[in-house]
Amino acid sequence: MSVPLVQRVVAVLWSSFLVAGVATILVFATFDPHDLTDPLGFSDVSRMTVYSIGFFLIWIVALLSSLLTVYFMRPVGSVNPGK
Amino acid sequence: MSSNPSRAAEGIEQELYAKRQKIYPREVHGLFARLRVTAVVSLLGLYYIVPWFRWDDRQAVLFDLPARKFYIFGLVFWPQDFFYLSGLLIIAALSLFFFTALAGRLWCGYACPQTVWTEAFMWLERIIEGEWSKQMKLDKAPWSGHKVLVKTIKHTVWIVFALWTGFTFVGYFTPILELGAKLLTFSTGPWETFWVFFYGFATYGNAGWLREQVCIYMCPYARFQSAMFDKNTLVISYDENRGEPRGGRKRGSDPKAQGLGDCINCRICVQVCPTGIDIRDGLQYQCIGCAACIDACDDVMDRMGYARGLVLYTTENTLEGRPTRVLRPRVIVYAVILVMLLGAVVYGIATRNPVGLDVIRDRNALFRETNEGFIENIYTLKILNKSDRDYTFGITASGIPGLKLVSDQPTVLVVGGAVANIVVRVQLDFADLKASTNAINFTVQAVDDDRMKAQEPARFLGPRGIER
Repeated sequence: MSVPLVQRVVAVLWSSFLVAGVATILVFATFDPHDLTDPLGFSDVSRMTVYSIGFFLIWIVALLSSLLTVYFMRPVGSVNPGK
Repeated sequence: MSSNPSRAAEGIEQELYAKRQKIYPREVHGLFARLRVTAVVSLLGLYYIVPWFRWDDRQAVLFDLPARKFYIFGLVFWPQDFFYLSGLLIIAALSLFFFTALAGRLWCGYACPQTVWTEAFMWLERIIEGEWSKQMKLDKAPWSGHKVLVKTIKHTVWIVFALWTGFTFVGYFTPILELGAKLLTFSTGPWETFWVFFYGFATYGNAGWLREQVCIYMCPYARFQSAMFDKNTLVISYDENRGEPRGGRKRGSDPKAQGLGDCINCRICVQVCPTGIDIRDGLQYQCIGCAACIDACDDVMDRMGYARGLVLYTTENTLEGRPTRVLRPRVIVYAVILVMLLGAVVYGIATRNPVGLDVIRDRNALFRETNEGFIENIYTLKILNKSDRDYTFGITASGIPGLKLVSDQPTVLVVGGAVANIVVRVQLDFADLKASTNAINFTVQAVDDDRMKAQEPARFLGPRGIER
């Protein structure tokens, strides 16, 4: 692909960061972190910790999606092109 | 941006996306520069001062994420009020559309945090390193004791300013007075520390290093803003009919006699541009609408004794000699929706129910039968008192004749701005049960104020297969 590697890396990191920010707000506006952690047996973690870890988890998920998008953008012809 | 090999000696950096020649915007004075400085000073001033405002005994503006409450002066918002926040976000987006349709990238040129902090960082850079030509010379010069000293001072000042910015940012989410006290004793929490550095680092990187590249490569708005443009949108343009053919000339000589237009090709409009474009090439995606080139060109025109406005705020229609329509369907539609939404949000907040009620069914059992032959369901009620004084609430359940509410406390005291959790049992004689699933309602009502009242539906479950 003609797009430089560094541009692909930044596009993946940055777009997933933006989406993760919005998703984090939506998730934690709907769910109280304590309602999520208490059933799992972590009752002494602060909400700040859950927000922060939640943000990074969502970022990773969004990042995987962006990564797959970039991965599948690769033209089919470049995989085992044959003779 | 093109990469010209002959310029390699001038220090092309391999930047994030493309070979980038570092831009040294020349300082500019004039009407629009004054407007921008006014915007920068007032917006940054507000940003750094607002968290220190007090309201009663608390921080006036505090998005208290740990406690899940937003304080904005006299108002307290709860997660249940998320509706208003989304309303505000939609209003913000629509205002952006409205102003873009009207006058182009006003947001980018005067109000965007990227512009505002970049402006502040460039101001610090100018104080420490001198004007643009000095900055260029210093960067080209070989490393020396002087260069190390100047660069160290600049980056230290930038980092301190960026960390203060990060501290202020976190101060919007956790009480800033306590945060400051903790900072002085180096005892801030791990996440507080992390976010201070994270936001500080982002400020330093974006405003110190990336600058116009953020607008060109990272900004989502910059990618779609042109969709809001039409031929009646005010944009910064070069009056080609008047300026061309461009060319140097002696001051006081008659350009017409030399076959020249009004553009003296001094390139100052290019030198002042923070994104390094030439406005004379027409409207470009990189143009953030800062109007620095207008100020610069007006100044040159004054000195040449020509009329101002060779580079100006104008519309495509005007440049083509057609009339400009300010009030056009697009602008009117944006304005009407904007006013309606704004009215709805203000009305909603003004008439907001000060009591909130959440009903959560007991997770362990759907229902149970008591020794007296009653079917019993258990619920946890969360009663939210959004007002600032304490109230005592009575609770009732209704919806099926014969429904009985049993609770350890007949009434519940809820402190102002707090939530009370109370477990209640609702009982119904088996003979009165009409179906397996029944809709019921919980009502909480303050004992001494009729307006403090909320109702919430719930389900009352019995054994399967009942249909009477």
